[in-house]
Amino acid sequence: MANSVAVKTTGLKLGALTFGLAVMASPALAAGESSGGLPQLDFTTWPTQIFWLVVSFTLAYVLMSRIVTPRIASVLEERHTRLEDDMERARQAAQEAEDMRVSFEKALADARSEAADKTRETLANATQEADKKNDAAAKRLATKIAKAETKIMESRAEALKELDDVASASAVDAAASLAGVKVTKTDAKKAVKAAAKAMPAMEQN
Amino acid sequence: MHSPVEQFTIKALMHIELFGYDVSFSNSALFMMLTVILSVAYLTYAMRNRDMVPGRLQASAEMLYEFVSEMVRSNVGSEGRPFFPFIFTLFIFLLFGNMLGLIPYSYTFTSQIVVTFVLAAFIFVGVTLVALIKHGMHFFSFFVPPGAPKVLIPFLIIIEVISYFVRPVSLSVRLFANMLAGHTMLKVFAGLAVMITGAGGVAVAGSILPFLALIGLTGLEVLVAGLQAYVFTILTCMYLNDALHLH
Repeated sequence: MANSVAVKTTGLKLGALTFGLAVMASPALAAGESSGGLPQLDFTTWPTQIFWLVVSFTLAYVLMSRIVTPRIASVLEERHTRLEDDMERARQAAQEAEDMRVSFEKALADARSEAADKTRETLANATQEADKKNDAAAKRLATKIAKAETKIMESRAEALKELDDVASASAVDAAASLAGVKVTKTDAKKAVKAAAKAMPAMEQN
Repeated sequence: MHSPVEQFTIKALMHIELFGYDVSFSNSALFMMLTVILSVAYLTYAMRNRDMVPGRLQASAEMLYEFVSEMVRSNVGSEGRPFFPFIFTLFIFLLFGNMLGLIPYSYTFTSQIVVTFVLAAFIFVGVTLVALIKHGMHFFSFFVPPGAPKVLIPFLIIIEVISYFVRPVSLSVRLFANMLAGHTMLKVFAGLAVMITGAGGVAVAGSILPFLALIGLTGLEVLVAGLQAYVFTILTCMYLNDALHLH
């Protein structure tokens, strides 16, 4: 600040100096002016120009440095801080959103794995139970079948025995009534057995 | 027929005398004051709402501010910060002065060598003082280019000193000459169009040529007005940078 003040006072001094020089020079060159030279070289007009330049430029400097530039600077500064603040807030909000997303994704993954575990467990339990039930049912059925088979075998054996008896009896009767031959029960049985053996062979032919 | 340089004549609008010097309020002074009033009014009005989201006008004012701010930052660095109001004033003063001067019947005060020279000399002396205050006697090492062969140093010092003292001259003449040449050329073409029209008859149709040229030149002059304000300001920044950082 001190520097610019120094600069200014020197400038004013210099202005005054040029001022003086111009005024000294003007009578000598005034003659050339009437011959249609450049108006810029008419030194009689220099004092007024320098005077008004100093006045107007000083006025401009005072107004610009006191009013205009501080005002523009403050508006720009204000906007800069405001933008910085907004940017900071936006960054924070973005960070928050990111955190939220991460925690949400974690919760989702947890829930997913938990559900998978539960499904697996339930499935395993169900399979085990079903297997057990299946086994029990198979066992029950097997016993039932075995029982039924024995029963069938017994009935069949009995039926066959009865059939032999009936056949030998009827053979004895048939032999007695037809041929009048008395056949013992033992012989009849033998014959029936032999016939029974031959029959499947004949049937096969 | 007016001379094309007649437009640069200073005309006193109100006679004022101060300590024996003629400091009349002239057409040039009027446009200097108008430049200040209009530019300050525009920048203040544009920023009146201090909108967080700027409208068109506010955005343009902010753009000007940031343009100069960036220019100072990149050419001078953070030490240039205290000089920002001056650089900003300088740029706006020259830019508005040049642009206002392009309006027909207005006056271009930057076409006066005395105006550009006083500005340049003020900058030259100011920058030199800044360097002397900051670096003291060490400032004079500025005139010795680093790494130069010992034998050449005396010559180089002479060249460096001359080039240093030519700075205000080149700075002021560049702006003044651009404005003078541009406005003279505009006047010549405009005068030509008027002259051809004055011939009457079929010749009137021919006046379209200088008129079209005039339109093109006006566009070019708008560019020059902006560019020269920029060049003047950026050179000031560079001189200031030299003063603050020497080599």
